[in-house]
Amino acid sequence: ILPRISLANLRPEPGDKQRGRGQHGGNRSGRGHKGERQRGNRPRLGFEGGQTPILSGYSKICRRPQYQPLSLKRLQYLIDLGRVDTTQPIDLTQLVNARGVTVQPLKRDYGVQLVDEGADIFAAKINIEVQRASEGAIAAIERNGGVITTSFYDPISLGILIKPIPFFMRGQPIPKRMLPGEDMVPYYRDAESRGYLADPEKIQQARLTLAQKYGYILPDISKDELYHMLAMRKDVRQIFFGLSPGWVVNMPEKKILKPTDEKLLKYYSS
Amino acid sequence: MLRFSLVVCGRGVAKRFSSSFSSQSALPPNLLLPTNLVDPSRLKRPPPPADCSLPLLRKCDACVPAHLSPVQTWVETLEKTDSEPLGLAQLHPDVFAVPPRLDILYDVERWQRNYKRISHASTKVRSEVRGGGRKPWRQKGSGRARHGSIRSPIWRGGGVSHGPRGPTSYYYMLPMKVRVQGLKVALSSKMAQDYLHIVDSLNIPTPDSQYLLDLIRHRHWGESVLIVDVCEEFPENILEATADLKTVNIIPAIGLNVHSMLKHEAVVLTLETVKFLEDKLLWHDERYTPLHSFKLPYSDFP
Repeated sequence: ILPRISLANLRPEPGDKQRGRGQHGGNRSGRGHKGERQRGNRPRLGFEGGQTPILSGYSKICRRPQYQPLSLKRLQYLIDLGRVDTTQPIDLTQLVNARGVTVQPLKRDYGVQLVDEGADIFAAKINIEVQRASEGAIAAIERNGGVITTSFYDPISLGILIKPIPFFMRGQPIPKRMLPGEDMVPYYRDAESRGYLADPEKIQQARLTLAQKYGYILPDISKDELYHMLAMRKDVRQIFFGLSPGWVVNMPEKKILKPTDEKLLKYYSS
Repeated sequence: MLRFSLVVCGRGVAKRFSSSFSSQSALPPNLLLPTNLVDPSRLKRPPPPADCSLPLLRKCDACVPAHLSPVQTWVETLEKTDSEPLGLAQLHPDVFAVPPRLDILYDVERWQRNYKRISHASTKVRSEVRGGGRKPWRQKGSGRARHGSIRSPIWRGGGVSHGPRGPTSYYYMLPMKVRVQGLKVALSSKMAQDYLHIVDSLNIPTPDSQYLLDLIRHRHWGESVLIVDVCEEFPENILEATADLKTVNIIPAIGLNVHSMLKHEAVVLTLETVKFLEDKLLWHDERYTPLHSFKLPYSDFP
C-alpha cells in the first residue's frame, strides 16, 4: 500500500528541472566582449547592415503553384475505413473533412494532385474532382467505372473550400471562382487531363484512347444506377455543389439569403 | 524519509494507544502526523468478489478493449447510514484504470493554479520615479562621487533596476488531451487507492449536515468528500446539508477538476455522472484533429 496521492505528494518529473545558471553564466553572461553584442543594441532580425537582405523578397520569387499529392493507395484506405463517402461526389472539402490531405493555401498550395501509387490495388467507383491528375491515376479510376475531373481553384476560393464553416461565420457572400491564368488554361481545356473547360465529346474520345492504351475495357457509365450522381459536375464559377456564388449563408439561424438586385445577379452569373 | 515510509497508525489508533498506556509514554497532544496516512479500518472494504450475488446495475456503454477488463465497484445509497451496497457497477478501464502518471497530475495541477494568475506587482524604473532630471552637483570639483540623477538605482528613493514590471500574466494552455489524461489519471488513482465511491442517486432523508457527517464517519470514507452529479438542479436536501459544511462539497460534473479531486480525500459519483464522464473522456481518444476552433459548429465530428 502506498501513501495517498494528495496535493502534498505531487512533484515534477526529475528531468524537467533545469540547472541553475548563476555562477557558470556570470562574468560577461554569455554576451561577448563590448560592442553592440554586449550592450544589447543589435539591429532587427534579418538586417544586413544596409545591403539588400536575402530574405526580403522570397514570396515574390517563389510563386510556383504546389499541389499536395494524394496517392490512390491513401484514397482506397480512406474509402475502406468509411471516412470518405463514395455515394456522393468527392470534393476537396470531403477529403479535408475525412482528414485525408492537409492543404495550406497560404504556402502556395493550389490544391491536390492524384498520384498513381496504388493504381493496381484501387477498386472503387467514385466521382472525384482534383486539381491535377497523372495519367495512370485517371486510367485507374476510369477502369473501375468512376469519373474524374480536374478543376482550378484560385487561392481565395481554395481557402473557402477547405474551411467552409469559418467562412460562413464571416457572413460574406460566396465569391465566384476565378478562371485559371494564361499558363493553366491549356491544361484545363485539354481532354487528356479531363479539364473542366474541355469539350465533353473530346473527353469521351480521350477515355476510349486511354482505355486502349492501358488495355482495359471501358465500362459504360450511362447504364449505371448512380449515373446521375457520377455525372454531377460543378459549374465553372461555382465553389460548392449546392450553393451558387452571391448567396449568403446564415449559420446560427440556418438560412440562405439570395441576392435579388439585377446588377448583382448579372455580376454573379457572368 | 517520512514521505515514503508507511506508518500504519492512524489517528484512531493513536487515541486508543494513548488511553490504554500511562501518561508518561503517551503520544504528545501536539503531535503532527502526515495527512496521507492510511487508516486500517478503511481496509476492511474489499473489492467485490467474482461470484457476488448482487445485481449488476451498470455495464460499460463504450467498447472495452480486448486486452483490458472493466473495473468492478460497489454501488451504495445515501438513504440510510448503515445500508448494504445495492449492487455492482462496471467502469471503463480506459478512464478508471489508467496507469498512474503522477507527472501529468503535477502538470495539470500546476496549470490550474497558474493559468488564472495575474500578478499585479509593479515597481517604478528610474525614469518613472518622480524627479531626478537634473544632475545633482557638478561632475568635477565637489569632492563627492559623480552622479547623474537622484533617482538612479544606487540612490535611496531611486528606481528599481530589475523589478517586477506591471501586471504580468502567467496564462498558458496545456494541450487538450493532456488535460483530459490528467482527469483520467486522477479518477483512476482515486479508484486504485479505494477513495472513489459510486452512489445511485443523491436523495437524502433529512437536510441535516450532521446526518452526512455521521454517514461518512460510519463508512470510513475519509475527512473530506467531493460529491459530483450531472444535473442542473440538485435535490434540496443535499444542497442544504452541504451548504454549511466546509469539508463536504458538491459540484456539477462539468466542474470536475484535478485540484478538487486531490484536495478532497474521497470522491462520490452517481451512475449518471459516471456515464457522462466516460462519454466525454473517451471521445478524445477517437476523435479527428480539429480543423477549426471547437466553438464553431461541426456538422459531423466523428
